[in-house]
Amino acid sequence: MKVCPTKAIRVKNRTVSYIAGDCIDCGECIRACPRGAVSAHTTENLKVEKTKTILSVSPVLYTQFGPGYAPHEIDAALKSMGYYDVYDQCEMQEMFNVAMELYINENRKNKDAPWPLISPVCPVVVRLIAYRFPSLLRNIPPIIPPRELVARESKKNAAQRYGIGEDDINVLHVTPCSAKMISIKDPLVVKHSSLYGAIGINKIYNDVMKHLRHVADIDKAPHSSGIGIGWCMSGGEIAGMEDGNFLAVSGMQETIQYLEKIEMGLLGEIDYVEFRTCAEGCIGGPLTVCDKYQAKHTIQRLVRLFGPERTVKCGYLKQLYKKGWYSSDREAGPPVRTQQVRSIADAIERQKEVEKIHKMLPGKECGVCGTPNCETFAEDVADGKATVEECVFIKCFKNNTEKKREGR
Amino acid sequence: MAELEKTYTVKPRDFIRAGEVSIQIQSLLKSMGVTPDIVRRASVCAYESEMNIVMYGGEGTFTLRVDQDMIMIRACDDGPGIDDIELAFQEGYSTATPEYREIGFGAGMGLPNIKKNSDEIQVESHKGEGTCLVIYIKIN
Ligand SMILES: Nc1ncnc2c1ncn2[C@@H]1O[C@H](COP(=O)(O)OP(=O)(O)O)[C@@H](O)[C@H]1O
Ligand SMILES: [Mg+2]
Repeated sequence: MKVCPTKAIRVKNRTVSYIAGDCIDCGECIRACPRGAVSAHTTENLKVEKTKTILSVSPVLYTQFGPGYAPHEIDAALKSMGYYDVYDQCEMQEMFNVAMELYINENRKNKDAPWPLISPVCPVVVRLIAYRFPSLLRNIPPIIPPRELVARESKKNAAQRYGIGEDDINVLHVTPCSAKMISIKDPLVVKHSSLYGAIGINKIYNDVMKHLRHVADIDKAPHSSGIGIGWCMSGGEIAGMEDGNFLAVSGMQETIQYLEKIEMGLLGEIDYVEFRTCAEGCIGGPLTVCDKYQAKHTIQRLVRLFGPERTVKCGYLKQLYKKGWYSSDREAGPPVRTQQVRSIADAIERQKEVEKIHKMLPGKECGVCGTPNCETFAEDVADGKATVEECVFIKCFKNNTEKKREGR
Repeated sequence: MAELEKTYTVKPRDFIRAGEVSIQIQSLLKSMGVTPDIVRRASVCAYESEMNIVMYGGEGTFTLRVDQDMIMIRACDDGPGIDDIELAFQEGYSTATPEYREIGFGAGMGLPNIKKNSDEIQVESHKGEGTCLVIYIKIN
């Protein structure tokens, strides 16, 4: 309840409820509650026919089984589980790096974009901005994130290669992220997602373990992209970009602090900020199995093995970029998600009421009322969603004075 | 008419707490449902004037007033005052020390940015007595 960055959780009568429209699916509550009072919405309940399903794998999966297994061995394990095909996202992440460089250069020249630009990759960050920092939506470039590009292209390839319809094939994202499902149902960075669903790494882990076999000595493993693997940790996305002024920030509170700064007009000298609301980046995702520092160790080993150099060809990518291959159909950026619920005049009255109630409260921030803190409780009371007596301190005080009056 | 007024204090040369008042103003305006672009403009103005008090001013008093049509931010301090107001508003003009420049301040864009992001400003400053900057931003 207290970890929720948008204060969307209430606990009343021993049950957890969410204020619809305030939840940004960040997964902080999933991480905080080990007993599973909350769980992520993923595709578990969806019926998927494995033979008609392509898996698009977040490289975070490659960090979950220690440095002894190469990415292609993990892909092979997934395939032997009966899926139609498996796609590694690493190369697409490099391609995305190139597109973003082109976008930055173009906009630096014609001075169009507001600075700094903000990475469209983390879906929680995009949601956080849409709900709490809507003035920064225009800082998010209309470039399609790698997971969507992979889904779009892998469907196209499969259709071409096997002569089936694109609609006959589904792409599932294997992910460490609790926000992927919502970002598929309601994608803010594109109008419609090319993904069919998402499946948590923690849901597929045991099965992969069962199918995992060594194919070759790890040192002789086929080349995957070191840059792509590095993307899983904070700083990995910008590490794949060449000359520019970049910044990487990870963690929910840190992200909020930096967004506040950018909204106040700071950091304008920076070109691009990579935000990840999970600490240490995607390896810190709530649906991972392996501890994030252990995973980081594995990444560093794999990056050394595959090398930090770019493996994609820029000339060709430049052509694709010019053709709009990367361009989102939301040209003006993601849509605003804050609702104007009351007029300014009403807001002023409400604010005064909130402050009056807040002053009556003990300020112990105990949370017994089922609200994350005293200020939020005061807001709920002002909005008629709670009564002051739900505060134990006020109730006690009231009972005591009544008892005194009765002469006991 | 409905009106909300809040006051805050700003300590000169306190770089640890510098910017906190602006963040409070930013989140208050946001929670009141003020439109995003107005929140952004008001936060830019609040931040730049708060930092000027921290860097150049004296004991500061910050006032935020919101009514149906207007946000007003008044940033007053009892510091040394501004010598030449017209000059201070020129882009790039700054009396920042080398130390301030070292940590990224002193671009001389603070006052010009306040002007750009507000609808009206009034400045009153007397040498040795202090500075008062009043910023108005229309809500609708
Ligand atoms: N509250 C103040 N008290 C005294 N001088 C001030 C105050 N605010 C601004 N100034 C003067 O105006 C100049 C320009 O301010 P500004 O445009 O914010 O640029 P900067 O902060 O980068 O110096 C400052 O360098 C300073 O000399
Ligand atoms: Mg300044």
